[in-house]
Amino acid sequence: MTGLVSLFRRLEGPQTLGRGPAFWALFALVLAGALAYPLFSDGYTVGNTVYFFVWVFIALSLSLIWGYGGSLSFGQTAFFGIAGYGYGILTINFGAAYGFTWIALLLAIGMAALVAALLGYFMFFGRIAGVFLGIVTLAVTLMLERFMAQTAGPEWRIGAARLNGFNGMSAMPPLTIPWFGGPIPLFADVGLYYVVLAMLVLVYLGLRILMNSSFGNVIVAIRENPERAEMLGYDIRKYQLITFVIGAALAGLSGVLYTVWGQYITPSSMGMTAASLPLIWVAVGGRSDLTATVIGTLVVLSGFQALTIYGSQYALVFMGVLLVLTVLIAPNGLVLGVIKGITKLVTRRKQEAA
Amino acid sequence: MDIATLAFSALYQFGDAFAFLVLSACGLAVIFGMMGVINLAHGEFIMCGAYVTAATVHAGLPLPLGILCGTLASAFVGVLVELLVIRHLYERPLDTIVATWGLSLIATQGTLILVGSTMAGVGTPFGSFQVGAYSYSIYRIVLFVAALAVLAALYALFNWTRFGVLARATIQVPHMAAALGVDTRLIYSLTFACGAGLAGLAGGLYAPTMTLVPTMGATFIMEAFVTVVIGGADVFLGTAPAGGILAIVKSGMTSWQGQLFGQIGLLIAVIIVVRVLPKGISGFVLRERT
Amino acid sequence: MTRSGLRGLRAAALTGTLVLASGAFAAENPIKLGVLEDQSGDFAAATIGKVHAIQLAAEEINKAGGIMGRPLELVTYDTQSDNTRYQEFMRRVLQRDKVDVVFAGFSSASREAYRPIVDQFNGFAFYNNQYEGGVCDGHMVVTGAVPEQQFSTLIPYMMQTYGKKVYTLAADYNFGQISAEWVRKIVKENGGEMAGEEFIPLGVSQFSQSIQNIQKAKPDFVVTLLVGTAQASYYEQAASANVNLPMASSVNVGQGYEHKRFKPPSLKDMYVTTNYIEEIDTPKSKEFLAKFKAKFPNEPYVNQEAENSYLALYLYKQMVERAKSTNRDEIRKVIAMGDVCMEAPEGKVCIDPKSQHMSHTIYLAKVGADHSISFPKVWEDIKPYWLGEAGCDLTKKDPMAQYTPSNPPPKP
Repeated sequence: MTGLVSLFRRLEGPQTLGRGPAFWALFALVLAGALAYPLFSDGYTVGNTVYFFVWVFIALSLSLIWGYGGSLSFGQTAFFGIAGYGYGILTINFGAAYGFTWIALLLAIGMAALVAALLGYFMFFGRIAGVFLGIVTLAVTLMLERFMAQTAGPEWRIGAARLNGFNGMSAMPPLTIPWFGGPIPLFADVGLYYVVLAMLVLVYLGLRILMNSSFGNVIVAIRENPERAEMLGYDIRKYQLITFVIGAALAGLSGVLYTVWGQYITPSSMGMTAASLPLIWVAVGGRSDLTATVIGTLVVLSGFQALTIYGSQYALVFMGVLLVLTVLIAPNGLVLGVIKGITKLVTRRKQEAA
Repeated sequence: MDIATLAFSALYQFGDAFAFLVLSACGLAVIFGMMGVINLAHGEFIMCGAYVTAATVHAGLPLPLGILCGTLASAFVGVLVELLVIRHLYERPLDTIVATWGLSLIATQGTLILVGSTMAGVGTPFGSFQVGAYSYSIYRIVLFVAALAVLAALYALFNWTRFGVLARATIQVPHMAAALGVDTRLIYSLTFACGAGLAGLAGGLYAPTMTLVPTMGATFIMEAFVTVVIGGADVFLGTAPAGGILAIVKSGMTSWQGQLFGQIGLLIAVIIVVRVLPKGISGFVLRERT
Repeated sequence: MTRSGLRGLRAAALTGTLVLASGAFAAENPIKLGVLEDQSGDFAAATIGKVHAIQLAAEEINKAGGIMGRPLELVTYDTQSDNTRYQEFMRRVLQRDKVDVVFAGFSSASREAYRPIVDQFNGFAFYNNQYEGGVCDGHMVVTGAVPEQQFSTLIPYMMQTYGKKVYTLAADYNFGQISAEWVRKIVKENGGEMAGEEFIPLGVSQFSQSIQNIQKAKPDFVVTLLVGTAQASYYEQAASANVNLPMASSVNVGQGYEHKRFKPPSLKDMYVTTNYIEEIDTPKSKEFLAKFKAKFPNEPYVNQEAENSYLALYLYKQMVERAKSTNRDEIRKVIAMGDVCMEAPEGKVCIDPKSQHMSHTIYLAKVGADHSISFPKVWEDIKPYWLGEAGCDLTKKDPMAQYTPSNPPPKP
C-alpha cells in the first residue's frame, strides 16, 4: 500500500511541470474532454486525432532521450520503422485471430528495443556522445531506409509478407480484439481512439513517475554534467543505455500504431525528413518537459495540417516562418514559454495583491 | 585492358567522389564544424549558389563569373541569415536545428513559388577525353582540382591571415577575444558568410552537371554532414582526410557492388570511424600532435 | 518579379475548395471531385500540370452544363510529395468532404499509401499516372500507361534500329525494378541480350561510375528508367563524358520534360514511348494545348500526366452520365460493358474492363541534337494486356492487390 502511495507521489516532482490540485483538476478536465469528444464528433475528426496521437509517442521518446537525457538521437525513426515492419511481417504471417495482433504489437516493440540495446551498447559503451551520437543514429536510420527501398523484388519476403520496397508494405490486419460474437477489428475510428488514448495516458503518467524517481534524477544529472554524475559513482553508460532502450520502445510503439492506423508502412518513414520531424515537434514544444512535449507535438501537427489545408502553396513557407519565429521568441519552446509566462503573470498579480 | 587504364579509372572515380564530398562539406565544415551551428539549410545555400550561377549564365555571363556570382550571392544571403536569425542562437546551438529547418522550408518553397518548379540547365563545358576504352568528362577533373584548391585556400585563410586567426580565437574563447578588442560579432558574421559562400561555390560548380530544382540541395546534405562529423572540428585537418577516407570507401564499394552499396558502405564507414575516433579525425590528429 | 508574384496570387486563389460556378445550376447538388496532387516538394515539377489540367477540364465541363446538369466542384489538397499527407487527406476527402471520386497520386508509393484507405471507405479513385503496372483493384481506375504498352513498342523498335545489346539503368525501387524486368523479358523474346543492368538508389545525383560501367559493357543502346529530379542529372553527366549512345525510356521527356530543362545536346538520340507530350502535331492535341496555354500561360510544359488527368475527367463524366449515378457499383457496370471510350487529345482511348486500365495511342518521340522532338512512329490502340492475361478480372473478382510479372495473380 505504502509502495503504491509513494509511486503515485512520484507523479509530481522536480522533473515535470505541473503539480497540486489545480494541475490535476485541469488534467482530469482535459481527460474527460478527450473521453467525451468522439460522441460529438465525426469519424474523420476522431481518426485524424488518433493520427496525431500516434506521433506523440515518438515525440515523448525523443523528449526522454534528448530533453531529459541530453543525448541527441537523430534516428528514432529507425525504431519506428523496425517496429512498424515487424508488426506487418508478424501479422501478415500469423493473422489476427486469438488476439495475436496484440502479441505482435509487443513483439514488434521488443524487436525495436533489442536493436536499440545493441546499438546503444555500441554507442554508449564506446563513449560516443554529442553530435557524434546524432550522426550515428541518423546513419542507422538512413541505412535502413536505403536498404528497404530496394526490396521490391519477390525474393525479399519473410514468410507470406513481401517487403515490397519503396512502395511500402500494406494489407496487414488492424489491431483486433477477440470477442465472443466474433473479433472486433479496430479501424482508425472511435475504437482505436480509445485504445490509443488509454496508451497515451498510461505512457504519460508512467514517464512522469519514472522521471521523478531516483532514476530520472540521475538521468537529468547526467544531462547537466556527465563528469559530475560519474564522480558521484553512477555508471552513466548504463543509465544512458536504459533510457535509450525505453525511448526506442516508445518510438516502436509509435511505429506499430502508425502501421495499424493506415495499414501501411514505407521506407520513407525512416528517411531524412521523417527523422527530422520529431526533433522539430519536440523542440518547438519544449523538449525538457513531458507535458510541453505532448502539447507541443499536438499543436505543431494540427497547425501544420491546417496550414496545408488552408495555406495553399504558401503552407510550407508559413511553417518555416513559424519555426524560425518560435525559436527566436520562445527559447525554451513554445509551450514552456507560454506556461512560464502565465506563471510569472500570476505570481506578479499575487505579489501585487499582497 | 591494361593496368594504367584501370589505375586511371580508379583514380578518376576516387577524385570524383572526393570532390563531391569535399565541396559539399566545406561550407558546412565552417558553419557546423567550427561554429557549431547545425545548419539543416546547408543544401539550400548550395541551391542558391546553383540557381544564381545558372541565372547569370543564362543572362550571358561566362561560367566562371557566374560561379563567382553564385558564391557571392550565397555569402550575402548568409550574412542576412546570420544577422536576422543565427546571431541570436549561438548560446543554444541545438535550437539552430529548428531554425535552419524552418529556413530550408522557406527557401525551397519560396524558390518554387518565385522561380517555378525547374530551371533550365547551362550545359557542361570542356567536353571529354579518352583513356583506353573509356571517355571521361574534363569538367570532373576541374571539380577535383577545385576541391583541392578550396582546401588549400581554407588552410591558408584560417592559418595565415589575420582574419583566420581572429576567427579561430573568437570561436574558441569568445569573451577572451572580445576582451582583447576583437569585434566578435563581425567575426561571427564573416565566418558564417564564408561558410555560406563555400556552399554557394559548391552549388555553382555543380550547377552545370545537375538538374536545377528547388529541392536539389537535399542530394548534398547527407554526404556533407557525415564528412564534417567524422572530420571533426578542424576544417582542414578534418574535412580533407575525412573526404579522402569516405571517397575511397564510396568509390570502391560503388565500383565493386553498385551504387546502393556505395551509399550503405559510406554510412557504415561513418559508424566505424565515429566508434574508433569518438572526437572525429581532427580530434585524433590534434591529440596525437600534443 | 511582379509577374511571378501575380501568378502566385492567382494560383492561391485557384487552390482550396472552389466552385466554378455559373448561375445556371446554382440549385443543383454538385458532384464533388477530390484532387490530391503534389503541388510542392520533390515531385512538384511533374505534377502541378496535373492539377491545372483538372481545373481546365472542370471549367470546360461546368461551362457546358456540368455532369447530368450537376456542377462539378473540386476539393483540392496539396500533398507536398509526402506519403503521410496522402493518408491524411484521402481520409479527409472521403470522410469529411464526402467526395464522389478522387483523382490522386504521382509516385507509386503515394498510391499504395492511400489505396488501403480508399478500399476501407469504399471510395472511388483515379490514378492518372504512368506506373509499373499491376494494380488489380475495383476501387481504382488507372488512366496512365503501363510497361507492356510502352516497352512492347519501344524495345523491338530500338533493337531493330540500333542492335540487340541492351543496357538498363534503372531507379532502384518498384517502378525501376519491375520496368527492368519487362525490358529483360522483351529483349529475350526478340532474340537480344542484356549487356548489363544497374540499379540506382533514389536521390542519387552522381553517375561517374555508372557511366564507366556502361562504356565497359559496350551496349548498342541504353534503357534509362531514371526517376526523380536528382537522377535526371545522369543525362548531363553522360553527355559531358561523351557516352554518345542512343537511349530509350518510358519515363523521361513524357513526364519530366528533360529536353526542355537541359542544354542541348545532352538528350540527343533519346527515344521515348509516351501517350502524350505537347509537341504532338495532331489537330486534337493542338486544340488541347491551345486551351491549356490560354488558361495557364506560364505552364512550363504539358506532359502525359496532365493529359491523362484531363481526359480522366471527361471519361468520368461519360461514365456517370451512362450510369445515371455517381455510385461506384453502377459505374463499374458501365465499365464492364467494355465500351467506355473517348477521343482524347492523344487519340482514341478505351478502358479495359478486366483491369480498369486504359488503352492508349503510343507515340515514339525522338529527341534531336537541338532537343527538338520528332515522331518516327505511332502505334494506335495499344492495350494494357498483361493484367487481364495474367488472371486479373475485375468484372468477376476484386482482389484489391498489386501484382508483378514475378508475382502474378494466383491461378484459380
